[in-house]
Amino acid sequence: MAMKWRFGLRSKLFLLSGFLFTIPWFGYQYVWEMEKYLRYGQEQTIIGTARALATAMHERANLFNNQASFLPSVEKGKDLYSYGLSAPIQLDGLNNDWPDFANKAHFYQQNNQLYRQLTPEQLSINFTAAVGTYGKYLYLYFSVIDDKVIYRDINARSIINNDHLELAFINPQGIFSRFIISNKTTGWIDAYRITDVKDDIPVPARQIQGHWRDTAQGYNVEVRVPLTEFNDNIAFAVHDVDSPLGNIEASLGSADPSSAETLGTILVPSPEIERIVKGMSYTNSSIWVVDQHHRVLATTGNIKQASGVWNKRVNLNNERNENTEDNVVVKYWHTFEANFLKPLYDRMITQPPRNFIDQLYDSENLTGKHIESALAGEPMSQWRLSTDKQAVVLSAAYPIFIDEHVKGAVIVEETTNGIRTLRNQALEKLFSSILAIMLLGALAFFLFASRISNRIRTLSNQAEMAIDEHGRINGNVDTSTTNDEIGDLSRSFSTAVNRLGQYNHYLENMSSRLSHELRTPIAVVRTSLETLAMQQQSMSTSSSSHENPYLLRAQHGIERLSLILTNMNEATRIEQMLQNTDSSPFDLGPVFNGCMQGYRLIYPKIDVAFQELTTETFRVQGSPEHIAQLLDKVIANAVEFSDDDKVTINVDNDQHHVTLTISNNGELLPEQMSEQLFDSMVSIRKKHNNEQPHLGLGLYIARLICQFHGGTIKAINKKNNHGVDVIIKLPLMR
Amino acid sequence: MSKRIAIVEDDAAIRENYADVLRMQGYQVQTYGNKASAMQAFNLRLPHLAILDIGLEHEYDAGFELCQWLRSMSTTLPIIFLTARDSEVDTVSGLRIGADDYLTKDISLPHLAARISALFRRQDALGKPQQADHMLTIGPLTVDSQRMTIEWLNQHVDLTITEFWMLYALAKHPGHVKNRSQLMQDSKIYVDDSTITSHIKRIRKKFVHIDSSFNCIETVYGMGYRWNQSASDSSAAS
Repeated sequence: MAMKWRFGLRSKLFLLSGFLFTIPWFGYQYVWEMEKYLRYGQEQTIIGTARALATAMHERANLFNNQASFLPSVEKGKDLYSYGLSAPIQLDGLNNDWPDFANKAHFYQQNNQLYRQLTPEQLSINFTAAVGTYGKYLYLYFSVIDDKVIYRDINARSIINNDHLELAFINPQGIFSRFIISNKTTGWIDAYRITDVKDDIPVPARQIQGHWRDTAQGYNVEVRVPLTEFNDNIAFAVHDVDSPLGNIEASLGSADPSSAETLGTILVPSPEIERIVKGMSYTNSSIWVVDQHHRVLATTGNIKQASGVWNKRVNLNNERNENTEDNVVVKYWHTFEANFLKPLYDRMITQPPRNFIDQLYDSENLTGKHIESALAGEPMSQWRLSTDKQAVVLSAAYPIFIDEHVKGAVIVEETTNGIRTLRNQALEKLFSSILAIMLLGALAFFLFASRISNRIRTLSNQAEMAIDEHGRINGNVDTSTTNDEIGDLSRSFSTAVNRLGQYNHYLENMSSRLSHELRTPIAVVRTSLETLAMQQQSMSTSSSSHENPYLLRAQHGIERLSLILTNMNEATRIEQMLQNTDSSPFDLGPVFNGCMQGYRLIYPKIDVAFQELTTETFRVQGSPEHIAQLLDKVIANAVEFSDDDKVTINVDNDQHHVTLTISNNGELLPEQMSEQLFDSMVSIRKKHNNEQPHLGLGLYIARLICQFHGGTIKAINKKNNHGVDVIIKLPLMR
Repeated sequence: MSKRIAIVEDDAAIRENYADVLRMQGYQVQTYGNKASAMQAFNLRLPHLAILDIGLEHEYDAGFELCQWLRSMSTTLPIIFLTARDSEVDTVSGLRIGADDYLTKDISLPHLAARISALFRRQDALGKPQQADHMLTIGPLTVDSQRMTIEWLNQHVDLTITEFWMLYALAKHPGHVKNRSQLMQDSKIYVDDSTITSHIKRIRKKFVHIDSSFNCIETVYGMGYRWNQSASDSSAAS
């Protein structure tokens, strides 16, 4: 049976199971929603952290006193900021060990001239300076560009008639000191103190160390000064001399180093604040403390590691998963997850960047709305992207109040990486479980639908098979034991078919039953009539010539009735006999030939055209007598319906079947009758023969015999619409 | 002394009709409506012939039981089943438990009378010496038309009256084809074709029981049956 695709139960259920696919969407929405809340929570946490830290620093004026925070404003280049260096600096006059020198250095040129203002054409000098702190020293680096480098003459007593550097500090005790670095040659520096000296004779200052290096453009000087030398006021200047033993042509510097009042300030990250902040370094946040000039007083944590409190939790989960002893299925699942799903998820879900770049903050000068807001006294948090737009950074700023004045702000920053990792893990888990659920669900749906549709199909096939195209009951529908609707349906079908079968059986046995029941009353009538006839005969022996005509007619009627009963019985009898007949192999040839010869004798007026069969060709399993009877019935039928007294029998065979076609040229079959023709008590005879009653049993018997031999019989109108073919198909023996 | 015939039949009309006709033929007839009364009477004295219906009143197989019982009383008592039941199963079982003939109620009264007289004749003839002019010998087959007995290879073949007449009709003209209606006429029954077929089958079986190589009754498909003399010769020769 060719399976035509249609929108069956299976496809429908499969489609319905497609609604399972909305689950991931809901899950996805849910996770996003969750992330929103987590972000909100993180925002609150981070503000809390900032507030806590700020609280620790409120009203502790001493933390800020030294830090030049009192200045109403800061001037770039004059008010210096000392970067915390991550590694010690080698005093060699090279800047390659200064981290990120280019960004941290300040360029001094004509605007920074001291004492005299030369035009740019006259000025033959400029320099770049960087300041940094490492350990107990302040490091200074100068890269001076000078067209003529004049060293101190070997014999010169003066230390200022050559290119030299001047440094000025106020130490914690409030003592103002000036130093001059004036070298005779390239190499280790010669530093002299020129304040508080006897007779104005400079004394070497051993505490100031460094290196003077000649370069192609000028010279580099790298210096270190112990932090104890100064508090927070500092100034340095480069003095340019263009002729040997000449006078100073130009002076460039951060501030005028000549007096205590004109010094600039320097901000060195405060160790006290650093200590406080360090206590907060376990919060997985990056923390900054700035003064009111946006300058960083202390910092801890790295924004790259600052992924918030969630990160710890996430990692914890991962570890536990790896350590758990799982069973095989779960292990396989994990392998599958790791090998196939993970890469897929990595494509689908944006992973939090591990290595982003964030250089928004120059530590000298932090900017941002939140900082402005915090320094104005209003705490604020904001979301921003890292400078490479890879990570989302959450910043919160909280003001530090001293005497109701904002003296600084605490800035706490975290990336959302923790939340993102958490979200990703949630999404992955969600996707994995949804994938599993969907696969299992779809599979279950599919199996369920398949089973149901198979059962229904089986049932429908059974129902179809139970009743053949002639409306006869062929078999039973198997009663299903399943206790559900389909089982009920199957049982109902079975019951219906059984009842129909019983009714059919009743109908088919009707004739035999009827004949059986009628036989006794007929016997009564018949014996009575016969007795009557005999009595009459014996009474009127003399006038035996005229018998009672009514008696004769009654007897005649009874004869016919009896004949009808006999005919009616025949079909039943055939059925019973076929049941008891042992089928045996026989040769169809002699049976056919014999019968055909017989028909020529029986129907002398009819031209029976046939081809004699060779023997030993058609071996059939069955009963030859019944085959002869079958032929009798069919030929008798054909003869009766033939218009031109001609009946043709064709024999055809293939490997498995022999086909007998008995054709006549006569009345056509009515359209719908061709199938019913072989049913019991169906007759299409028009001309009624009063002498021979017809009950339409001949072809019924023919059909029974064909069925017994495993063959089929059918009647069709000839293609030329001129007569009827009765086609008998019998299986051959192998 | 006139013969006593017992009719066991639950339908009073038929019973009395049969009885009347048989009485007119000069038999003494006793009628019984059920098994109990019949057995009571037969216990006192057995009839010379019994005509039994199978279904008696409420007992579906009372006739069979009665037949068995009678056969146990006498092995020679002729018993005829006269019934409306004509199924193969009933016929076979009726004959198998010892009835001499199995007739359906279609049979006309003259036929019934003929059968009864034939049965009596056979019984009477069995006691008398064989007379040569009633003997028909075809090869190993010997037919005594007087005593209505058949012998094959000098062994008695136990046929019913109907079967005897059928075989007799075939054997009287060996080599001639007798069609079914001729056989019906000769055996004085009117039945359908398949009944003839089954009768022939039964006769063959009874011969084959004696001689497994028996194949003298030949089916001429489409026409009828014939006694095949050459087959009997060859089988006798072998």
